[in-house]
Amino acid sequence: MLRRDPLANPEPLIRRVYAYVAYRVGDGPDAEDLTSETFERALRYRKSYDPRKGEPVAWLLGIAKRCVDGRGARMEFASEGADEAIPSDLEEDTVRRLTVARAVGTLDERDRELIALRYGADLTARQIAELLGARTNAIEVALHRALGRLRETFAIDDEAAVRKHEASR
Amino acid sequence: MRYWRRRQVPFDLEAELKAARPEPSPDLVHRLEARLRTSGRTRAGSSLRVAFVGALTAVMLMALASVGGVGYAASAGRDAVVSVKRVVTPKRVVRVLKQSPAIDQYGPKKKKKAKKVKKAKKGKGAKGRVRARTRPPFTG
Repeated sequence: MLRRDPLANPEPLIRRVYAYVAYRVGDGPDAEDLTSETFERALRYRKSYDPRKGEPVAWLLGIAKRCVDGRGARMEFASEGADEAIPSDLEEDTVRRLTVARAVGTLDERDRELIALRYGADLTARQIAELLGARTNAIEVALHRALGRLRETFAIDDEAAVRKHEASR
Repeated sequence: MRYWRRRQVPFDLEAELKAARPEPSPDLVHRLEARLRTSGRTRAGSSLRVAFVGALTAVMLMALASVGGVGYAASAGRDAVVSVKRVVTPKRVVRVLKQSPAIDQYGPKKKKKAKKVKKAKKGKGAKGRVRARTRPPFTG
């Protein structure tokens, strides 16, 4: 019997996997390496994909998660300390990306993973629950808390920026 | 002015996280797409070959079956198996029983022991003694 190829439409999958990995380890060459590694493994084990267990993106994110977990201990978040590196003449979109990435980088590993799965890979809370082997309700609560902590980070950033701005005047 | 100074209140963090989603470089996307497509083509080619061979085999089997070739081939196979089995398996040792009703009836004939006949003594009464042996005793 012929099986459905999970990598038949690769571009959206590459984007979602990259976004997930970049939210976890930071945007840049490390994220690119891990994304490539994920797809290499997916190619190697593409026969093991079972459509009954979920969509191809969930399968790929499971592989990506193992790749990141395997290398995560040796890897620091790439955007840490990027605040000072933001030049004032950068376009708003780029600044937004860097600011969000820096704020996500301040979260702990668990919160970062949830944010990466929900807003990077664009999975629903139910899909995240299936991937992590948890209850949907528990994931929703954890996501809510992670967002709260992220809001606090943004608030601290705002205060610091205002103080800096006032001091420079 | 910096980004966070221009942010409007209320701040939609979820929309912000989706909008600021990291994007892969076009180079990475092209490279991975090319890699996946090459691998996919190879796989599709091999599965196509397998399908072609399968279809060809089915057509040949149907053609053979229509003229009774399948039964012929099957019996030839069975014969071959029997022949090989006969050659490979060791010969059975037939044990001949020494005593059985069949041997008593059809086996090699045993030599009959010659009856010892006492020679009749010469003289009187020798004939009578012989007669007495051959007849049942008189019981009255």
